[in-house]
Amino acid sequence: MMNSMSVPSKRSTLERKLDKLILTLFGGLFFMCLIGAIGSGVFINRKYYYLGLFEDVEQQFNPSNRFVVSILTMFTLITLYSTIIPISLYVSIEMIKFIQCAQFINKDLRMYHAETNTPALARTSNLNEELGQVEYIFSDKTGTLTRNLMEFFKCSIGGVSYGVGITEIERGQAQREGRALNEIQKSDTVVYEKGFNFDDDRIMRGAWRNERDPEIFKEFFRCLALCHTVLPEGDESPEKIVYQAASPDEAALVTAAKHFGFFFYRRTPTTVQLRESHVEKMGNIQDVSYEILNVLEFNSTRKRQSVVCRYPNGRLVLYCKGADNVIYERLAGTNQDIKRLTREHLEQFGSSGLRTLCLAYRDLTIDTYENWNEKFVQAKSSLRDREKKLDEVAEMIEKDLILIGSTAIEDKLQEGVPDCIDTLSRAGIKIWVLTGDKMETAINIAYACNLINNDMKQLIITSETDAIREAEEKGDPVEISRVIRDSVSHDLKRCLEEAQQDLHIFGQKLALVIDGKCLMYALDPSFRVDLLKLSLNCSSVVCCRVSPLQKAQVTSLVKKGARRITLSIGDGANDVSMIQAAHVGVGISGLEGMQAVMASDFAIAQFRFLKDLLLVHGRWSYIRLCKVITYFFYKNLTFTLTQFWFTFHTGFSGQRFYDDWFQSLYNVIFTALPVIILGLFDKDVSASLAKKYPQLYKEGIRNTYFKWAVVGVWAFFAFYQSLIFYYFTTTASENGHNSSGKIFGLWDVSTMAFTCVVITVNLRLLMACNSITRWHHLSISGSILAWFVFIFIYSGVMTPNDRQENVYFTIYVLMSTFYFYLTLLLVPIVALFGDFLYLGLQRWFFPYNYQIVQEIHRDEVDSISRTEFLEIGNHLTPDEARSYAIAQLPREKSKHTGFAFDSPGYESFFASQAGVYVPQKAWDVARRASVRSSKRTSQR
Amino acid sequence: MNNSAAGTSSGSGDVSAPRRNSNRPKYSRFTQQELPACKPILTPRWVISVFTLIGVIFIPIGIAALRASTNVVEIVKRYDADCIPGNNTKAYKVAYIQDKNIDKTCNITLRVPKDMDPPIYVYYQLDNFYQNHRRYVKSRNDAQLKDRGKANDTSGCDPEDASNGSPIVPCGLIAWSLFNDTYNFSIGNQNLTVNKRGISWKSDRDHKFGNDVFPRNFQNGTLIGGASLDENTPLSQQEDLIVWMRTAALPTFRKSYGKIEQNLRENDTITVTIKNNYNTYSFSGKKKLVLSTSSWLGGKNDFIGITYLTIGGLCFFLAIAFTGVYLVKPRKLGDPSYLSWNRNPSGR
Repeated sequence: MMNSMSVPSKRSTLERKLDKLILTLFGGLFFMCLIGAIGSGVFINRKYYYLGLFEDVEQQFNPSNRFVVSILTMFTLITLYSTIIPISLYVSIEMIKFIQCAQFINKDLRMYHAETNTPALARTSNLNEELGQVEYIFSDKTGTLTRNLMEFFKCSIGGVSYGVGITEIERGQAQREGRALNEIQKSDTVVYEKGFNFDDDRIMRGAWRNERDPEIFKEFFRCLALCHTVLPEGDESPEKIVYQAASPDEAALVTAAKHFGFFFYRRTPTTVQLRESHVEKMGNIQDVSYEILNVLEFNSTRKRQSVVCRYPNGRLVLYCKGADNVIYERLAGTNQDIKRLTREHLEQFGSSGLRTLCLAYRDLTIDTYENWNEKFVQAKSSLRDREKKLDEVAEMIEKDLILIGSTAIEDKLQEGVPDCIDTLSRAGIKIWVLTGDKMETAINIAYACNLINNDMKQLIITSETDAIREAEEKGDPVEISRVIRDSVSHDLKRCLEEAQQDLHIFGQKLALVIDGKCLMYALDPSFRVDLLKLSLNCSSVVCCRVSPLQKAQVTSLVKKGARRITLSIGDGANDVSMIQAAHVGVGISGLEGMQAVMASDFAIAQFRFLKDLLLVHGRWSYIRLCKVITYFFYKNLTFTLTQFWFTFHTGFSGQRFYDDWFQSLYNVIFTALPVIILGLFDKDVSASLAKKYPQLYKEGIRNTYFKWAVVGVWAFFAFYQSLIFYYFTTTASENGHNSSGKIFGLWDVSTMAFTCVVITVNLRLLMACNSITRWHHLSISGSILAWFVFIFIYSGVMTPNDRQENVYFTIYVLMSTFYFYLTLLLVPIVALFGDFLYLGLQRWFFPYNYQIVQEIHRDEVDSISRTEFLEIGNHLTPDEARSYAIAQLPREKSKHTGFAFDSPGYESFFASQAGVYVPQKAWDVARRASVRSSKRTSQR
Repeated sequence: MNNSAAGTSSGSGDVSAPRRNSNRPKYSRFTQQELPACKPILTPRWVISVFTLIGVIFIPIGIAALRASTNVVEIVKRYDADCIPGNNTKAYKVAYIQDKNIDKTCNITLRVPKDMDPPIYVYYQLDNFYQNHRRYVKSRNDAQLKDRGKANDTSGCDPEDASNGSPIVPCGLIAWSLFNDTYNFSIGNQNLTVNKRGISWKSDRDHKFGNDVFPRNFQNGTLIGGASLDENTPLSQQEDLIVWMRTAALPTFRKSYGKIEQNLRENDTITVTIKNNYNTYSFSGKKKLVLSTSSWLGGKNDFIGITYLTIGGLCFFLAIAFTGVYLVKPRKLGDPSYLSWNRNPSGR
């Protein structure tokens, strides 16, 4: 398939950085070994006669060949210092990540979608911490941001606005401004139907007849009921009829007419039949047949659609609906009031994220019509430039229109999307919408989800300019590409200049809108840098009419060009390549097919769960893993450095400071469990606070917790602590240690040092914890206890296989002295003194944001979500019940989306109705494919 | 517990009965990450209290440890240079010490600075002697030392594993290089007896060195490393050897030599007759003789007391300094203006 890409295997950025750290450690290891090796070559000498370096001594200690001594010592030291490489780190990380996925992400009730019965699903355990560092989100529109559900929401008739609903975006705005919305409780009689979410007592149930000017209402409703290309299917009763429409918008408008009492139930080749109720008299129902004389179809240049129809009483009317600017140009000069009021309403609707259409009509006299119809028939039967001629003819009659009002359709967003987007953008995440829809639709949705608002400056790069259109009409491909290329290059330069100016001088936020055709050229290597620079300066970017492959290209542009961490989210087959291209791919599971989910790394049921996935799970995973890694680094470095200091006092001979078993069990038993507990349970702020202060997420984007500086601080303290361990335990070792004047040997000292290391390292972990559960207590005290149990048994028992009984009885010898206990109290406290001072000062004078948040909420008891979840499980609110019911409805057959008049497949849809073959666009094919397969899976 | 759970579930059972085959995860505090936890916040108050607490605990301990250490009377005398006639070159010294025919007796005098109560421990201290060298540490065979039947087991003892074709007991470089200087103490004409029993750890005597293992074929080679052993005394009673074989951690170390169980008065002059046999001259190591009393904490050891005091004092000082800062310029806990996005509204 053209748009498919090979499936990449993904590793998290943190892990890649970890590799660098490991490499550095290897470097350190080599360096340490080199010092030791040189030292050993210099040290070895026959003068130390007690070493028995006589004639045929083995090469390792042969003073007559110092170079070989060095080389061999090097190898000895590599094995000795190999503990600096935290091998068990990878195992621990895998374990932690696996549990994070299987237990935390998959089982999070906050990400469980009750309506579709879908919990979140982590399909890979590699990328948990990547979720905590995402800076760019690339989102599909349909099915991801929206439900692909159009609902008739508001209207403006004769200069009065109707409809009491409140859109998500209005709600969000009110919340941000702290305004209370007086939300009108919907009356119980309101019918819920797909495509209709409107209530206003002034017009529902025939009440419109009591309004000031009922005539204009009739025109409005008839325009809705007559001016469309919808086909009714099924039983001709209002409850059972199904409307087949090219776009859900049209269906929504016709459904609205039905609820207003103008029920469109049958279409014949020449007529449209309506069942009108309450028109002449309340409660009165009559069937009326309107003759449709002409249909002036929609296309992307006209942006309007008209029908000419004849009433049964002979009245000839042209009904027209279309984009506001197109209609306004063609209005008669009268009735300025309605025009002004309607324009105001249009703006209101637009800023609430609704898609608007203007409705107008014109009464025709028979003469005018006959005259025009002749030309129309001619144009229709012409062989050359038919479309152009038809447009010209239509232009002649679509004038002197009288404005009726406007409709506002809500492209139903998924629940909580604007809020989620707002939260994410406050978290420093930039959201790009990549959609196959047309520009207007895309901008509209961007408004609806709060990605673009009126405070932003829009930079638009489009191929819908006159110059390009002209070139396209000429049809010379080379010429077209040259023109587009020039215009793209020009636009990019212009936008970039504007962006620099606006951003730096006025501090204005920018939004970039670019369409697929331009994108194709802008992605060209020569413009790529400009495009990247421009888009990184914009707070939101909308790409419309892009193909699946372009989605992936844009994603990798940011991923590779800007080296930022990207996340793609989508639901359909056309998002697969984008999902695979990004660092993290998220699939919306539940409704549309499984391709996106199969390609994704994480699957969630709703866009809004992204907030939990990123701000809670991602952030925690990132912080936890950073801590785990730095802690591992610290504990291995500390341990190895004590060994390293000892080397200097053993004539660089590579003598072990610790017993073999101490060394091997250090990582496996004595310090293993607590760090895993830390990786699972550490929580700096609770989930609700993480969402309340989304800015905390920025620390992940900036990689605050795994910078070289952080590693450096840990390394410094590891260095300091190892010196303390080594020197404090060895310094006084030349003297008597108990009241009977007995002296410690090497293994007594090393056992003491090891005990100090184990205790300190475990306590240091406790200091790194933000929340301490009983598992922390258990594992930390367990680890320290495990060491003592081990050493009691190990040094208490004589084993026949142990040739050197070095540590035999050492712990008992140690424990018979006061000196041991004093050291045990002194060394860990001195070792941790530095860390404690650092942590205290850091928090006091340079607090991290999360620490402030902790302090603000220090007295609050963690709310336990149990009750809250139980309630969700038990009751469905009416809203939820409704959306559940909607989710259960069979999905619409046509997946076309967008503005009522400009869905991408619109032309081909009608062409196929008319029996003409028009090739489909690539994105239609992809989407259809995913629809088909979803059906197949559902049948299975 | 069980009953109440059953009761509630049956009560709400009608309402919450799963509508369909639910994938809804079960609530558990673990999976919802809501385990009860305490959330320590390292507030300035905490920092100050912890420092104060450490100070309060450490200073008394430090004083006690330091007192114990100062009560110990210790006499240290270096004798490796004094016991070689003249001030000669290193080569001469090595030749001198290796010459078996010279009587290497040498007398030094020690003055007792303070009254010393018995037991007074006698140590020798060596310097620049790498008992912890890898080749040295492993050059022993513990099985052989413990078990009479394993006398032939000399693995690991190379090059001192056998001489004249038969295995050495005890084998290895450690035993071979056994320290062999001897000391005789006298005040005026009166000899001070040195008790050489009980100078090693009991666990070593009882478990590591067999009481039926006798030295055999020891120091019979061409090169003599150090002292020879009485072939009729079992190893478990050869305490000099046992002490020597508990290898030291650092190249400067002390080993027990014996105890003097007699009072020494202030200003007593002790004459020590040293048989200066042991060769530290080839590697320029120092030899010292140490007489020391002992406290509950062991020998003279100012280090631990001083460290306790230093850390305790430092903590006190920090506690006071922080309290000062805290009073002068307190940081309000949880002040939202510290949040980075509030400090810098542009958010970058």
